Amino acid sequence: MQITINRNGENYGPYSLEQVREMLDSGQAQPTDMGHVEGESEWVPLSDLSNNLPEAGEKPPVIGSQDDDTYTPTGEHEHEFRIECKPDFSYLTVQVPANQTLKVEASAMATMSTNMVMKTKMKGGLSRFLGGESLFINEFSAQGGSAEIGIAPGSPGDMDHVHLSGADEIFLQSSAYVASGMQVNVDSKWQGFKGFFSGEGLFLLRCTGHGDLWFNTYGAMIEIPVDGNYVVDTSHVVAFTGGLQYNVESVGGLKSLFLSGEGLVCRFAGQGKVWIQTRHPMAFANWTYPFRPESNN
Amino acid sequence: MQINITHRPGNSAAKVSLEAGESITAEGGAMIAMSGHMQVETTTHKKDQGSILGAIKRLVTGESLFLNHFTPSGGPGEVYFGTALSGDMMEYNLNGPGIMVQGGSYVASSPSVDMDIQWQGFGKALFSGESMFLIRLSGQGPVILNSFGAVYPIQVNGEYIVDTGHIVAFEETLNYEVSKAGKSWLSSILGGEGLVCKFHGQGTVWCQSHNAGSFGASLGPNLKPR
Amino acid sequence: MQSKIEGGPAFAYINIDLDPGETVIGESDAMSSMAADLNLEAKFNGGFFAGLAKAFLGGESLFVNHFTNNTSSTRRVTLVQSTPGNTRAVELNGQQLCLQPGAYIASTPGVQLGVRWAGFKSWFAREGLFKLTVTGTGTVWYGAYGGLLEKEVHGEYIVDTSHLVAYEPQMKLNIQLAGGLFSSLFGGEGFVTRVEGTGKIVVQTRSMSGLADWINPRLW
Repeated sequence: MQITINRNGENYGPYSLEQVREMLDSGQAQPTDMGHVEGESEWVPLSDLSNNLPEAGEKPPVIGSQDDDTYTPTGEHEHEFRIECKPDFSYLTVQVPANQTLKVEASAMATMSTNMVMKTKMKGGLSRFLGGESLFINEFSAQGGSAEIGIAPGSPGDMDHVHLSGADEIFLQSSAYVASGMQVNVDSKWQGFKGFFSGEGLFLLRCTGHGDLWFNTYGAMIEIPVDGNYVVDTSHVVAFTGGLQYNVESVGGLKSLFLSGEGLVCRFAGQGKVWIQTRHPMAFANWTYPFRPESNN
Repeated sequence: MQINITHRPGNSAAKVSLEAGESITAEGGAMIAMSGHMQVETTTHKKDQGSILGAIKRLVTGESLFLNHFTPSGGPGEVYFGTALSGDMMEYNLNGPGIMVQGGSYVASSPSVDMDIQWQGFGKALFSGESMFLIRLSGQGPVILNSFGAVYPIQVNGEYIVDTGHIVAFEETLNYEVSKAGKSWLSSILGGEGLVCKFHGQGTVWCQSHNAGSFGASLGPNLKPR
Repeated sequence: MQSKIEGGPAFAYINIDLDPGETVIGESDAMSSMAADLNLEAKFNGGFFAGLAKAFLGGESLFVNHFTNNTSSTRRVTLVQSTPGNTRAVELNGQQLCLQPGAYIASTPGVQLGVRWAGFKSWFAREGLFKLTVTGTGTVWYGAYGGLLEKEVHGEYIVDTSHLVAYEPQMKLNIQLAGGLFSSLFGGEGFVTRVEGTGKIVVQTRSMSGLADWINPRLW
């Protein structure tokens, strides 16, 4: 990449990206200086270019400096994307190619290019909706050109990406769904195991097909490779791979069921991967009680 | 016993690795995941001793009535602990002076650590809105505490002020009093700081950066009425 | 004055070391801990009427706290926002910055806070009628629930209204529906902000309304 820098009407360079970064670090070049990349039609501020670097070093705060902990995919993936602000407030930005569509959890869109068009679909059917369990999915299509969308789930926490390739199967807790490519089949009518989540209005999604799947955790995310036997409190289960056997039971006998606060647990057996979240929503729901406004009845 | 605290300070979880026969005591509801062969015993009191009175005292501090004792059988095992509210966790090794812990901040401790509830008296807590009870931890061994916000220590050498909603724990060598934040009562109340805790002496105070009450108050208007 | 933001991005807090004679201004209830001999005084946020305007219109508190070091050596005060999330420091040198209500945490005495009319549509979008502006010379600290990401806008861009934290004053903001009427209602997106112009905006990666929407179905 050859970059020409313009300052005060004079052109300098061309420089390599590496050299530009060094100049920014040392103060020889300012993030507000304009740079022209050979082959591009526009001049952009240097801060734009340096933002694409893996390590930009300390930048002088203009409106503020860049956040840390960004994840860009290295393994198999269908879309270009990055996950920023990991692990506490993970934010997904996906590039959708022209005239293609991305499925996104309802109300999760935070930013998008103006040529993104949104359509709402309801998954799970009316009966599920009436039963208090629903998954609304929005479809965002890039019209007339590629477009970008920034996705923020409502709960704080981490995010992960899985690329499904035909034979893969992932079971996902319904409120953990963030987004997926059009070729990924998100089955919400799958009965599988009812009562997995002890009446929290959650259900298990079965995801198969081909493409990208993103899901979030409430709290931090811990990936546990299961090889034998592992026990997880069901409210902390986010996702698990298809090959595992699972059994829901209470922990430590009847007394523990009511008194220990752990409730139901899921015993996983076999080989596979379980994603768990370090926090669970009902505890937070209980915590909010004193802060809720009182109804006027 | 090995304690590894991950994902600090935002969504901390504590991974405790136990040798066969070793035990860890944790408040009810703290367990996220554990090895398949972990034995769990639920009591209202410290393992092998105590009475229900201790449990009830714990309830008023904001902790759960119940304690779980985790012991792996037939080999080493691990257990992960998390908390209801997001935040930081810290490990502290007791070896000599005890520490006073704010209600709700206790997560787990080795069975060799003694837990007692201490009433702070009317003068200290009546207007502060915080619990009048503090948990006193003493003895030997590791304890795990949680906080809302990042934990930062302050070495007190003389005097230091900490807003009452921001205290996680402090060494019992410190004295403290609840007083007004500013020079005048008007300033303290109007400025929103209200009452603060003034620490005297020598010792460490562990503070939490954020205040759960302020967060709840910001979220409250958006929540479904009760 | 030396300051450092620690604990970020999840629980950012600001350690401010004041030299003798220096003052820092913090919003109501922002103090986490401070040296015992610092002087703390509550004052109207820029004078009585200006304070009133900022409180009822800009979502800020009527009173702010002035922390002054009247001793002869450096003293520390630790300030924090009410929600978890990240905090930023901006050096102002005459330029202006627009902040969402509630984003302001603290500033040095040379910075002035004002309110700017945001339009009726902004009120429908649950975002309040006014925006806060900061200008002058000095440092202003602001933050929001979630992580903070900076974005360069060239032309136009859409931001969910509850995710916009700060923007440069030359940007034009317009409120519009996210999609068609059905989509906007059931798709949960509601109103969005269309940002036009060239400049920087700061986006928060979570929102209080999003958090409430997520937990409300679980409340009995």
